[in-house]
Amino acid sequence: MSDATRSHKAKKFLERLPKKLSRQIVGSLVGCVHCGMCTQSCHYMLSNPEDPTFAPAHKADQLRKIFKRHIDWTGRVFPWWVSAKSVFTDSELEDLKDIAFGKCTNCRRCTFNCPMGVDFASANRTLRGLLVHVGVMPEGVAVVSKDQWEIGNQMGVLKEDYIETLEWMSDELSGELGDAGARIPIDVKNAAVVYSINPREVKYDPRSISDAAKIFWAARENWCMPSECWDMTNFGLFSGDDDLGGAAGRRLFEKVMELKGRKLVISECGHGYRSTRCEAQNWAGQSFPVDMESSVITMLRYIKEGRIKVDKAKNKESYTFHDSCNNARSCGLTEEPRELLNLVAPDFREMHPNRAENYCCTGGGGAMSMSEYTPRRLKSAKIKAEQLKATGATVVVTSCHNCVDGLSDLIKHYKLDMKVTQLVNLVAEALVIPAKVAAPAAGKVLALAGRTIMVVDDEPDALTFFSALLADHGARTIPVSDPNEVLKAARKEKPDLITLDISMPGKDGGEVLCELRKNPETEAIKVCVITGRPELRKLIYDRTVRPPEGYLDKPVDEAKLLTNVRKILELAHEDVPVES
Amino acid sequence: MSESALLHFAQHRLQEAALLCMAVVYAFRIRWLLSFKDARDKQAPTGRGVVDPESGKYYSLANIAMPWAMESTRNSPFFYLQFAVFHLGVACAITLSFIIPYLPGLLELPPVVKAIQGFTAAAFVIGVGRMIRRIAVPVMRLISTPDDYFSLALLTVWFPFAFLAAPNDRGGGEGVLLTFFFLTAFFLVYVPFSKISHYLYYPFTRFWLGRTMGHRGVFPMRQPVHPR
Repeated sequence: MSDATRSHKAKKFLERLPKKLSRQIVGSLVGCVHCGMCTQSCHYMLSNPEDPTFAPAHKADQLRKIFKRHIDWTGRVFPWWVSAKSVFTDSELEDLKDIAFGKCTNCRRCTFNCPMGVDFASANRTLRGLLVHVGVMPEGVAVVSKDQWEIGNQMGVLKEDYIETLEWMSDELSGELGDAGARIPIDVKNAAVVYSINPREVKYDPRSISDAAKIFWAARENWCMPSECWDMTNFGLFSGDDDLGGAAGRRLFEKVMELKGRKLVISECGHGYRSTRCEAQNWAGQSFPVDMESSVITMLRYIKEGRIKVDKAKNKESYTFHDSCNNARSCGLTEEPRELLNLVAPDFREMHPNRAENYCCTGGGGAMSMSEYTPRRLKSAKIKAEQLKATGATVVVTSCHNCVDGLSDLIKHYKLDMKVTQLVNLVAEALVIPAKVAAPAAGKVLALAGRTIMVVDDEPDALTFFSALLADHGARTIPVSDPNEVLKAARKEKPDLITLDISMPGKDGGEVLCELRKNPETEAIKVCVITGRPELRKLIYDRTVRPPEGYLDKPVDEAKLLTNVRKILELAHEDVPVES
Repeated sequence: MSESALLHFAQHRLQEAALLCMAVVYAFRIRWLLSFKDARDKQAPTGRGVVDPESGKYYSLANIAMPWAMESTRNSPFFYLQFAVFHLGVACAITLSFIIPYLPGLLELPPVVKAIQGFTAAAFVIGVGRMIRRIAVPVMRLISTPDDYFSLALLTVWFPFAFLAAPNDRGGGEGVLLTFFFLTAFFLVYVPFSKISHYLYYPFTRFWLGRTMGHRGVFPMRQPVHPR
């Protein structure tokens, strides 16, 4: 191949390469001695010992070869001698994509085990950035990056949906606490705390917002959430796009400064904390005078200062703690979460290895947005599954939303009898609420009274469970086990909501969704996908029809199902009928 | 016994020229490395309590002497021992190339000769073992370049000549010493162009990693709790 035949993308890739290099990256590219010490530190390698292409040194070599061929003169003069190699075709760029995005979560565990101090993860992020620059990336990365650029958060949550969720959570909170003042303040000037969150909390886990609000309320904190620029996550970390990383960070910092907030508190999210607290100013190329801390530190502080009281006996299960890679290996946040967990849970069991040596949840580095690599990711989660199982705990606690999803996936895949939760949920559960504002005991709340919900699932147990649970809360339920009957039943019953399984014999959930959306009689019916096989979510989201209004991973507990169903049905502001 | 003009040249002029060449190339390499932008953290320090970024740098630089600090060395003590002995062998052979021409009296002390021979012999055995590992283990084969093989072979061949040259005995002829010095000179000239120059980069890579991780409260690393 010659320079003349190089593809346009390959040319652009090579033009961009020198601009992406720093001393640290160059040091990592020239410093590797190929000693192989990194191989035993990578969860991909440990779970796939038969495949040497997962070795961190080999993965880093993909960029190293190109760097040597074009930047380092040893490779320019003697390319064969140092295995230097250029890139010519789009197909070669695709191969690089498979390695940079599909075989590494940038967890940095290999970096910490390299005697030379080679930062493999940063080198891999550089390679990702180069590929993204020429438009070569997994579809999920493109979609999420676009949402973060254009809408301002990586899940494309619209402002009205965000505000509505906060108001709904406020209603729930004031109802639960029996205090009309227990609400989520928005855009309060001069607040002591400006709380920023992960859009996943708005979309899939609003309970974590209300739990945090409950803690702030109990601590009598002067706090608020911003009405805009509230996303502390940053897909620039995963995509390697420093421009996006800088822009996302700048939006958040400028919002805090506009509100004259005294401290930015970052909710439990590993990559969000690292991006906001440690990286965004580097990417933006400027410092911002914003004081920041993780909500883990905030909650710990409240307990130590006596601002909130907790009763650890309320958390009755056995707990272990998973360190998010970004928290532990890039931000030094390892002791505070353990200290907090010990204060709110009586049975804490350490997992091994732990802290900065913990294994990746396997969902990091944006892996959860790249469904094409899901089978590989789950296979490579074997070592993590064994580590979790060995703890004997029933609940794994983590301070990261990505880890929640990654761990939930692998727990399901390896059939571990465990649940995943976050510290905010445990602290909220353990809170000792002053008696004068404790919620009055009432009759049973019929949260879904007057609603018709069709439950579609081929598994009899799931069908019965969901139907009974929703009926218990007042809904009229229509169980359907045959996917071929859904359209007919929906046209006849006109339900307010359909809960839809994806993996069903004969017709998958994606096809059923298409049928419903394309029929004028059923197109407006709200749909919540509930699946035990998240790797199949592509079947839903790849379709051209309007996506479902909600999405839940099995196993689904009562609170999660109810919360999400009510959110989809927009029951937030309605009075809840009570059965006397 | 007096040395031949060729041996004198090999011990002095050749070594000096090779060292000069190495130093010049090294100077260019460092200048080149430092010509790239410095990606220094802009944010306030992270971590618990008072963060001392300086301690992170020192911890990182001293990491190589703390096999307990990294899982990879902690769990493979024999591999770490090999690493230590191999590099001590290199240090002994290099030192020998200065002792013979400038401090030959030292080699009249049997413990000095025995120490040099001991380390270079052990380093040779380790070098052979590492070559076998590099060829036999699939992952090592996959990541190895011709330079990796050649650099290891060069050192492994160099060690026995250092072993034989250590007594500085010319009774059997100058062949061993000449080979040792010519190999040393080749080694010195080749090093800056090869993977062996990693020791030049080591202080930089570890310093930068330590500076960042110290700033973020990760280094010095809190040791994980191990199962009882």
